[in-house]
Amino acid sequence: MAPEPPLLTMSGITKSFPGVRALDGVDLDVQAGEVHCLLGQNGAGKSTLIKVLSGAHQPDTGTIHWRGDPVTLRSPIAAMRLGIATIYQELDLVEHLSVAENVHLGHEPTTAGFVVRGKAARASTAQLLHRLGHPEIEPGCLVGELSAAQQQIVSMARALSHDVRLIVMDEPSAALDPDEVDNLFRIVGDLTADGVAVVYISHRLEEIRRIGDRVTVLKDGRAVAGGLPAKSTPTREVVALMTGRNVEYVFPGRPSRAATLEEPVLEVRGLAREGEFEPLDLQIRPGEIVGLAGLVGSGRSEILETIYGARKPSSGQVLVGGRALRPGSVRAAVRAGLGLAPEERKAQALLMLESVTRNVSVSSMSRFSRGGWIDRGVELEAARAATRELSLRPDNPSVPVRTLSGGNQQKAVLARWLLRGCRVLLLDEPTRGVDVGARAELYAVVRRLADEGLAVLLVSSEVPEVLGLADRVLVLREGQVVHTAPARELDEHRVLDLVMEGSPVASASPAAGEGSPAS
Amino acid sequence: MPELTNRFTSRRGLLFGTAAVSAGALLAGCTSNESDDEPAANDQPAAEDKPGKEVTIGFAGPQADHGWLNAINDNAKSRAKKYSDVTLEITEGSNDTAQQIGQIETLINKKVDVLVVLPADGKALTQVGLKAMRAGIPVVNLDRIFNTPQAYRCWIGGDNYGMGLNAGHYIGEKLKGKANARVIELAGLDNLELTKQRTQGFDDALKNYPNIKKVARQAAEFTVESGQAKMAQLLQAQSKFDALWNHDDDQGVGALRAIEQAGRDDFLMVGGAGALSAFQAIKQDNGVLKATVLYPPTMAASAIDLARALGQGKGVSGMAEFEIPASLTLYSAVVDKDNVDTYMSTGFK
Amino acid sequence: MTQHVSPPRDGTDKTAPVGQPPSWRGMLVRADVRTLSLLGVLAVLILIGGITKPDEFLDTRNLQLVLTQASVIGVVTVGMTFVITSGGIDLSVGAIVALSSVWATTVATQEYGFGGILFTAVLVGVGCGLVNGLLIAYGGMVPFIATLAMLASARGLALQITDGKTQIVTVEGVLDLGERDAYVLGIPPLVMVFAVVTIIGWLILNRTTFGRRTVAVGGNAEAARLAGIDVRRQRLYLYLLSGLCCGIAAFLLIILSGSGQNTNGNLYELDAIAAAIIGGTLLTGGRGTITGSVLGVLIFTTITNIFALNNLQSDVQQIAKGAIIVAAVLVQRRTASTT
Repeated sequence: MAPEPPLLTMSGITKSFPGVRALDGVDLDVQAGEVHCLLGQNGAGKSTLIKVLSGAHQPDTGTIHWRGDPVTLRSPIAAMRLGIATIYQELDLVEHLSVAENVHLGHEPTTAGFVVRGKAARASTAQLLHRLGHPEIEPGCLVGELSAAQQQIVSMARALSHDVRLIVMDEPSAALDPDEVDNLFRIVGDLTADGVAVVYISHRLEEIRRIGDRVTVLKDGRAVAGGLPAKSTPTREVVALMTGRNVEYVFPGRPSRAATLEEPVLEVRGLAREGEFEPLDLQIRPGEIVGLAGLVGSGRSEILETIYGARKPSSGQVLVGGRALRPGSVRAAVRAGLGLAPEERKAQALLMLESVTRNVSVSSMSRFSRGGWIDRGVELEAARAATRELSLRPDNPSVPVRTLSGGNQQKAVLARWLLRGCRVLLLDEPTRGVDVGARAELYAVVRRLADEGLAVLLVSSEVPEVLGLADRVLVLREGQVVHTAPARELDEHRVLDLVMEGSPVASASPAAGEGSPAS
Repeated sequence: MPELTNRFTSRRGLLFGTAAVSAGALLAGCTSNESDDEPAANDQPAAEDKPGKEVTIGFAGPQADHGWLNAINDNAKSRAKKYSDVTLEITEGSNDTAQQIGQIETLINKKVDVLVVLPADGKALTQVGLKAMRAGIPVVNLDRIFNTPQAYRCWIGGDNYGMGLNAGHYIGEKLKGKANARVIELAGLDNLELTKQRTQGFDDALKNYPNIKKVARQAAEFTVESGQAKMAQLLQAQSKFDALWNHDDDQGVGALRAIEQAGRDDFLMVGGAGALSAFQAIKQDNGVLKATVLYPPTMAASAIDLARALGQGKGVSGMAEFEIPASLTLYSAVVDKDNVDTYMSTGFK
Repeated sequence: MTQHVSPPRDGTDKTAPVGQPPSWRGMLVRADVRTLSLLGVLAVLILIGGITKPDEFLDTRNLQLVLTQASVIGVVTVGMTFVITSGGIDLSVGAIVALSSVWATTVATQEYGFGGILFTAVLVGVGCGLVNGLLIAYGGMVPFIATLAMLASARGLALQITDGKTQIVTVEGVLDLGERDAYVLGIPPLVMVFAVVTIIGWLILNRTTFGRRTVAVGGNAEAARLAGIDVRRQRLYLYLLSGLCCGIAAFLLIILSGSGQNTNGNLYELDAIAAAIIGGTLLTGGRGTITGSVLGVLIFTTITNIFALNNLQSDVQQIAKGAIIVAAVLVQRRTASTT
């Protein structure tokens, strides 16, 4: 590193919100041309820190130096003027505007100050997209029509359309497939080679190892370690810093008894949805966890939602306990004993304004009511029992569900189905947005529920998760099951090979969505 | 929608459906208003002269969403029927300026002989009035006046200022000699100019009676509902007053209801416009309503008379001139117990 | 997902913990900040009324008057609160009140007497609500558009029935309910209906599965569907409920004004929405409060009353009404965020 002052120095940053001290004297320095990783569990203060850095929040105390000069970042625009761009996890694009319009939003190239030069905007956008390795995205195309991965590229193009010196990426790989992650890393490499600094936030330790230069670990609003070498610091040490424990991914042991004796509780016969996935046969017995592995767009979530009745199949049947469900009816599925923990917890599962109790009881209201009249005492006790069984924190089901961490929100969803007494649990990306420590706990919960006789169908984009938690794994490629095997007979490389093997589309084009009919 | 079909073929669904249908049939019968529904119209004799040249009169008015406007249409129609030499081309009433312009242009294209126009908005329809005049079609402008006299051959309408004036004089005479008399005013829609004129006339009349003071004024909206609501508040605000001037008999229905509900009868009330219900109450003379000042919908019948005269090139009988006048402001007669029978037939519902 | 330390969204939370076991005393202690601030606004208004017009304002008759005038719009607002809580909107309430009131007061209906008028008013309201509900829940129409269409058609039909004429009610049984003689212990029958509708509405929203489903559908329709709630049927019921409230309100209006007119219910939709929003019901759905809505209605009616008693004219009234809407919402936000 050159002896010149760091590109960015933040020192002693504190920030409090009513009832919460989000940042408690955090120091961070970032050099030009480095990838500086921020690690920390949910609630450690990462988001608040980058919001301070991007000008969205004002710190209560502390100083920020930019190239050695003290600065105040009053607004996102002020930060942008200095050359700080932020790509948030929840993308802030306007769906009904074109790619080029989004990229140039707020700084459109104009003639005479107000006539937008659309052609120039599209040309420079095309150039940016090319640089980002996605020349196939049309600048004139509406952002709403793009896949999540492509939208992220657009978001990045927008950041780069400014003269950017520091770029903050908040979990950029969360929605990406492995090859798209490779492309992302290539982009990051190009940027740092040009002297741009990258602040990179991720839950995935192996990514940080691959591209990170230095690591700052946050815990409870404090930087417990600053500027550790990313490549050489042992994983165990990083995990210990984050959690205060010495655990990495810990999967619970599989039961010794074979589950094959019992009749399958869930049976799927030739279930298909045209354009999304091919006819699928599947049986799950009580106590069994079956995993579905595949790329984004391979039809994983679609299969789960079709089994659950949220999508109507074009052919095939779903049987629970030997009885066929009315196709395309969530209510029939729920009545028969199916429960879904969907991929987008906040958008698809939780009532964010409501208490944990009401989120847990929503699917079993008839149990606490007589003639539509709810007995709230019984309801509260039942919700308390269900959340306690999953050790949901805090141990008070009256708090609003939105105050919970990601892992505990997921537990609230599981508690809903536990209370309902469901027989088959469908889990879609159960640990997305859940930090490392809480993941292990969730894995243990899922295994325990299975041991108690639940059948579980698990979908995850993280192959180790599927391999570690499931008993049996179905590998999907483009809506088709290409391989079925007990989890212990597979490893990560084998699965990735299967997922991509012999598929010219998947290997030739890095674009998500392309080649796969799902949208 | 499998759920829908399923539910509606269920037995419960069928039962419910049957109930709904029979209830619907019963309801449909209930929309009838026919039993004693005769259009209020003028019984004054039509012009006495013999049938002359055939005249086609085009008539365009606003949507009849108010009793008075409905009476305007009825008056025009029944008057035209009385002349064997008059054909009336009447348009669907509309409150939409653009639509009304379109309707009048259609009438111009049909080459009617004379136009009678009650504009939804006088100012906004001036241009189409000019257009008709330039096309050689004389226009009789009814009540809501165009911007320029060039747009009409003859204007005939009510006298809003005169309504207030006559109401004020009537009340003034009734309260003569009473020291410190208090009156209140229940006005119409305050964003209409005619409401301001009625209030002005009333205030000007009261200046002649130094013993009377106007102590309160609230504006309703020409509807029964608003009349009841505002009157109830006025009654609560003023525990004692001697007279009430209400701008409109329609809202007066609500006002009378509020008075009845408050159990008050210690004042006299003067209404406006000339609704049948008001006439009946005046005739019975057992309530507070003692008189109403006219804003006669019979003006539409007169407009037809004028249009016919214009079409046949005649003047108005009883006047020395060969031509009909350029403008006619109708007198706001005060109708009270003594003369109510004369006007009963003109009362509108 | 990243942190859970982001600040509470201002204005939208800080309600007492929800879902507690029933405890009346506990509920009083934890009384919602929002409700308290509304009561504060009302108290200030009462103070103003009491100072400016002590004799006329602080009077039993005036209390009866204010509550009576609040009854019609109040009943409509209770229905509207349910619809808004579910994330919908009902722009047709005023038109339904108009249609119900004229249909129930035609010469033919009046021949059936008291029962005929009541039955027709309620049935027309429910029928319009049913059409709204079917269009929205099963026809896939946006509530804004479906109820806007209902607004236009119902007003048109009301005009067609009346021809713009005022239909005067001659059924004594109906008229008598609006007279002082009908007051029970000083409470006008209209106010009793309003109170009963309010209490039933409160119980349904806060204590029944129907209320829970309404909140769930409004808070997150997709989550409600995936949790096994029949979202479409719930929507149908909600617009039916709103129609029913309009029918009841129309009957009250017939009693109050002694007539039916196609201009009835003018701009009720805006008054009801404004009262619900001021009361703290989220326009985006997911949270609704009957108490707040009723307080909102009372605030509006009290303002009108104070202005009329002080003989202020309608221009001033309208300006002040707008200002008070803004002030009430700002006060609530402030009190909600500082506690």
